[in-house]
Amino acid sequence: MGKNSKDKKITLGGLLPQEIQGWKAEEKDEIYDPQTIFDYINGAGEIYRSYNFKLLLARRFIKEGQPNIVADLFDMASSMDAFGVFTHDLEGEDAGIGQGSTYKGGLLSFWKDHFFVSLYVEEETEDTKNALLALGREVSSSIKKEGEKPDIVSLLPLEDLSEKDVHYFHNHLILNYHYYVSDENILFLDQKTEAALGIYEAKDDKHYLLLVRYPEIKKASHAYESFTKIYMPEARKSGIVQTEDLKWTAARVKKNILIIVFGASSDSYAKDILEKVSKKISQI
Amino acid sequence: MKKKVITRRDFIRVAAMTPFAGAFAYSIKAPGEKVAARKTKVVLVRDKNALISFKKPDPDIVQNMLDDAVSTLLGEKDIVKAWKKLVKPSDIVGIKNNVWGPIPTTKEVEQALKRRIMDAGVPEEKISINDRGVRKDPIFQNATVLINARPARTHHWSGMGGCLKNPIMFVPRPYDYHGDSCADLATIWKEYNLIKRTKLNILVMLYPLFHGIGPHHYSDKYVWEYKGILASQDPVAVDAIGVQILQAQRRQFFGEDRPLQPPAKHVFLADTRHNLGVSDPDKIELIKLGWKEGILI
Repeated sequence: MGKNSKDKKITLGGLLPQEIQGWKAEEKDEIYDPQTIFDYINGAGEIYRSYNFKLLLARRFIKEGQPNIVADLFDMASSMDAFGVFTHDLEGEDAGIGQGSTYKGGLLSFWKDHFFVSLYVEEETEDTKNALLALGREVSSSIKKEGEKPDIVSLLPLEDLSEKDVHYFHNHLILNYHYYVSDENILFLDQKTEAALGIYEAKDDKHYLLLVRYPEIKKASHAYESFTKIYMPEARKSGIVQTEDLKWTAARVKKNILIIVFGASSDSYAKDILEKVSKKISQI
Repeated sequence: MKKKVITRRDFIRVAAMTPFAGAFAYSIKAPGEKVAARKTKVVLVRDKNALISFKKPDPDIVQNMLDDAVSTLLGEKDIVKAWKKLVKPSDIVGIKNNVWGPIPTTKEVEQALKRRIMDAGVPEEKISINDRGVRKDPIFQNATVLINARPARTHHWSGMGGCLKNPIMFVPRPYDYHGDSCADLATIWKEYNLIKRTKLNILVMLYPLFHGIGPHHYSDKYVWEYKGILASQDPVAVDAIGVQILQAQRRQFFGEDRPLQPPAKHVFLADTRHNLGVSDPDKIELIKLGWKEGILI
């Protein structure tokens, strides 16, 4: 490990306490990078790699007669990716920690600045829940700055959209995780594209709005061509089609952003959504 | 109940030979398609008393369960004779286990397997139990027979971790196989000469994980005491049955149909794309032994 990694470890380690409610940190922290993460985390390491994570520090806390607490502190390098990886799994109750948090089944996750933090206890009890929440608050307060969310997320209309239904990501594997489109990467998503997916639920209606920002207008147009050719070949000119479930899918490019609505309840509703988002894009 | 409408998203999945929710692709067979007369055999054995306490198997009962499973699978009542159909005294045998902390293969299963391999005449020094060290293990390097034994659990990237995925440690860089949710894991079996050498696949379902959370994809909350063991000589068939049980438990626990996320498509592609084994439920003969309550299949 190089000097920089050691320095980083010291910096990351300084954000975690040595003790919390009687649980004491093990002597040695572990540190992983995108190449070594699979030594620590099973297949889910791909999630963090897909969000360009730089470094992970893992610290285990031990207390006699109690289950261990595992703290994983991810340096995501950017607040956008810290927010993004947090949005990968939004199940659970809001714990009011950091800039966004969830708690469920002995796992507390939150993001703040360019950090994503996962605190996990091997067995959930009232004591361990209290300790996890206290640890979370302490780590959050030691991260002094707040970070910005990706601005593409602000292009999603807010009506009928819960914070729990917003996902930010880069590649098509994560898109398929939240909403299956195709095994093939027909939208040409990669680490340089930014995507926001909103899942809208209202009475008798559930539709999905996907926005993808490409580095260039040309690439957005290329992706639109690919999508309409493969997904809606009968509507390549109009960009809107009624699918087999009688819902509507519509697509449009505005500047360097591809907008796709899946599952709208009517053609006029689908067009209306495209129009709303296009107007927002025009204003940026 | 609403009728399921097949959408273009479903067709795209099927075009890529990726059945969703378990066995979708098999419901749209071409008319007149012949079903193979001989089915692949999978044995499910369950015992109400398989666990002494949470996540602690009873070694004697596990031994009985494995004996019943292997006897039935091979059609040989005498368990030593049954094992002699799998191994001979001159064989070098690797038991590929899985040491993942929260839900390992378990010592009880490993020792029960080892005992019967020795009963069949293989000397102890020619048997090794290993997971992450298989590439450097001389027994595994020279193994003439492999026994593949691992627990069933949901997996954040491949949908399910089962027998098909277990040999990933034979690969120098496992993450090379992570593309498209591990779709082509079956290729490992060909590339590392595992197909003929793997004589038995044991999918341990004593306390499987049916849902995962967080970076480590684990919480005790989503472990249930199924107290079962699946055995087959076909790694695809045994995993296909495992997927069905995990999905049934998810449906029961969540009170709604919640398919594995991501879908365990590597299991079905191992059949439809790579011809490694059988995933079509219609072509699997599932033999159920023992405790029936909460069997889910």
